[in-house]
Amino acid sequence: MLDTLLFIDDDPITLMLCKMVISKASFSKVIITAKNGEEALQYFDKLIQNNTENKKIPQLIFLDLNMPVMGGWEFLDHFSTDKYSEYNDIKVIILSSTVDPEDLKNSQKYPMILDFLSKPISKEMLEYVSTII
Amino acid sequence: MKNKQNQITIIYILISLVLAIVCFKVIPKYATLDQFSLIILFKDFLFILLSGLILRYVLYKNDIKNSAIFEKLKKKNDDIKESNERYDIVSKATSDTIWDWKILEDKMIWNKGIEKLFGYKQDQIGESSKWWFDKIHPEDSIKMSIKLYSFIEQKTEKWQDQYRFKCADGSYKYVLDRGFILKDEEGKSVRMIGAIQDITKQKIEEQRLKLLETVITQTKDSVIITEPDLLEGNIPRIVYVNPAFSLMSGYDSDEIIGKSPNIFQGPNSDNEEFKKLIYAIKNHQECQIETISYKKNKEEYWVKYSMSPVYNSDGELSHWVSIQRDITADKKQEVEKEQLIRELTQNNKDLQQFSYITSHNLRAPLSNLTGLLNLMEDIPIENPELKEILDGFNKSTHLLNETINDLVKVIIIKDNPSIKKEEVMLKEIFENVFSQLNFLIGLHKPIIKFDFDKVAFLNTNKSYLESILLNLLTNSIKYKSETRKSKISITANQIGDTVILIFKDNGIGIDLVRNRDKVFGLYQRFHDYPDSKGLGLYLVKSQVETMGGTINIESTVNIGTTFTITFKNKYI
Repeated sequence: MLDTLLFIDDDPITLMLCKMVISKASFSKVIITAKNGEEALQYFDKLIQNNTENKKIPQLIFLDLNMPVMGGWEFLDHFSTDKYSEYNDIKVIILSSTVDPEDLKNSQKYPMILDFLSKPISKEMLEYVSTII
Repeated sequence: MKNKQNQITIIYILISLVLAIVCFKVIPKYATLDQFSLIILFKDFLFILLSGLILRYVLYKNDIKNSAIFEKLKKKNDDIKESNERYDIVSKATSDTIWDWKILEDKMIWNKGIEKLFGYKQDQIGESSKWWFDKIHPEDSIKMSIKLYSFIEQKTEKWQDQYRFKCADGSYKYVLDRGFILKDEEGKSVRMIGAIQDITKQKIEEQRLKLLETVITQTKDSVIITEPDLLEGNIPRIVYVNPAFSLMSGYDSDEIIGKSPNIFQGPNSDNEEFKKLIYAIKNHQECQIETISYKKNKEEYWVKYSMSPVYNSDGELSHWVSIQRDITADKKQEVEKEQLIRELTQNNKDLQQFSYITSHNLRAPLSNLTGLLNLMEDIPIENPELKEILDGFNKSTHLLNETINDLVKVIIIKDNPSIKKEEVMLKEIFENVFSQLNFLIGLHKPIIKFDFDKVAFLNTNKSYLESILLNLLTNSIKYKSETRKSKISITANQIGDTVILIFKDNGIGIDLVRNRDKVFGLYQRFHDYPDSKGLGLYLVKSQVETMGGTINIESTVNIGTTFTITFKNKYI
């Protein structure tokens, strides 16, 4: 069971669904959600500024691609910069409804991406994710 | 001649008579009787001697005359003999056929050339001029007769004519016939001698050249012929242009012959192409040029031409031939086509992007629905009405999901004309498909037979093949006959490097008489089946064709359907 999981998705229903499935499957103790890439980066910015030891650093990120303000790819571009270098070992799983083959190709450019999964999230999917992290 | 002889004879007789009378009158007067007989004897001797001398003289004179005549005749005879011999030699040596026509008697003789040239044996040759005229081609005979008779009637001095002469085998040869006439003392034509020469080869060559000339003058392509060598760095001088060139460029042939084609160059002509042309001419190489040229009125046009060296019989470069074509319209079309392709490509890209966005936007809420329904499965529902509603909700969501997944597959296939192939085990693929159809197979219990002994491995795209078989098997189970036990057989055969998959069922079939051209179409539904989407066979065909294969259907209503899929089993 993970300690902290970051879930980045703009759709409140998806977020709700994920929270329910994750807690039912006891996949992670804490679920932090962000509704787009920018909000997720702000979370990490706060982590950087916050020097306390009790930092909730996510061990895994579930990332949607199509989001307003800042999409998944843009988030990864920022997140790969030196600014966030201390978090570069966090693994990312793309969870999207996209069918564009370009997205799949794009995912190979980022070493931090562990897998590219298709929505919806399910118990079986989490079981699979547990085996690869 | 006879008169002269008579004259001499009469003179002789008269002299003799005078001598006899004189002797008769004079001798008795002066001679005695004793002397008389002696004198008579002496007189007779004298007369005989005189007559003998005269005769000798006449014979001598005659002899000289005869001998001169004989010599003259002998010489003439020798001349004739020699002339005949010469004629024989010439007539043997020449390949011509010689004929000799006695006009008044209408007798005609031919030398051996008639056999050599035309194949007539001596016994096939007629003796009159009719035989000759009969052998002349009907189209040439009237013209030839008119010319010949006007010659015989001495309206013309020389006679020669070309016509077609029939050979013994029925074919015709083109001939050149030349003749002269012999006249009698009164100047009347009595005999004509002629020589026929076979000019078929020349005539055929002439016709061929005429044809070639016609091609050059009639063709719509422009033809320019130039001298062989560069002229101080300029293109060699023009020696010929055909009418099509004049039409294309506006230059008449007489105003352009003798000039260098450099004058067709202008500010927008392609300099690189010009260099290429000069290089090719220098090196005696053929070349293809595409450039902007200028008409006489300075109007620009696009021209495409070849420049080919022409060599004479000694192997020396004699000319350059250039075949040119105005491609202005083609160029314009090309630009338009490129523009159209650009627009279409952009449209296609936009549509593709649109389809991806649409798919994503549909899939996102749908995945939520699916996820939520999955969660609800674990929550017990007491109310039967609510349970029924949720069941319907579940089924509809499931169907919507499948439809969208199929549509996405179609989009992806159309976006990826080439796909990755790998070596897969046919049996393994079928097992995968069966496991996905567990529910349906359990429900309808069809008898499924498969035979993959002949083709164990296949070089293919695994997910496409799985999708194809899944679709076909689902169809066979779904559209089974209500009255018969469902039977499905799948066999694989290999002929050379072609693999044939035959998929056969005994289901309700499709009416191909009405629907053959629609079977593999998009959104075509042939049966009233609640979850039929009209996508399956379209998807199957797209996937088969993307893998370079073909699919055929044979079906009879209420008997069954057979799909035959073929593809190349190549290991690359």
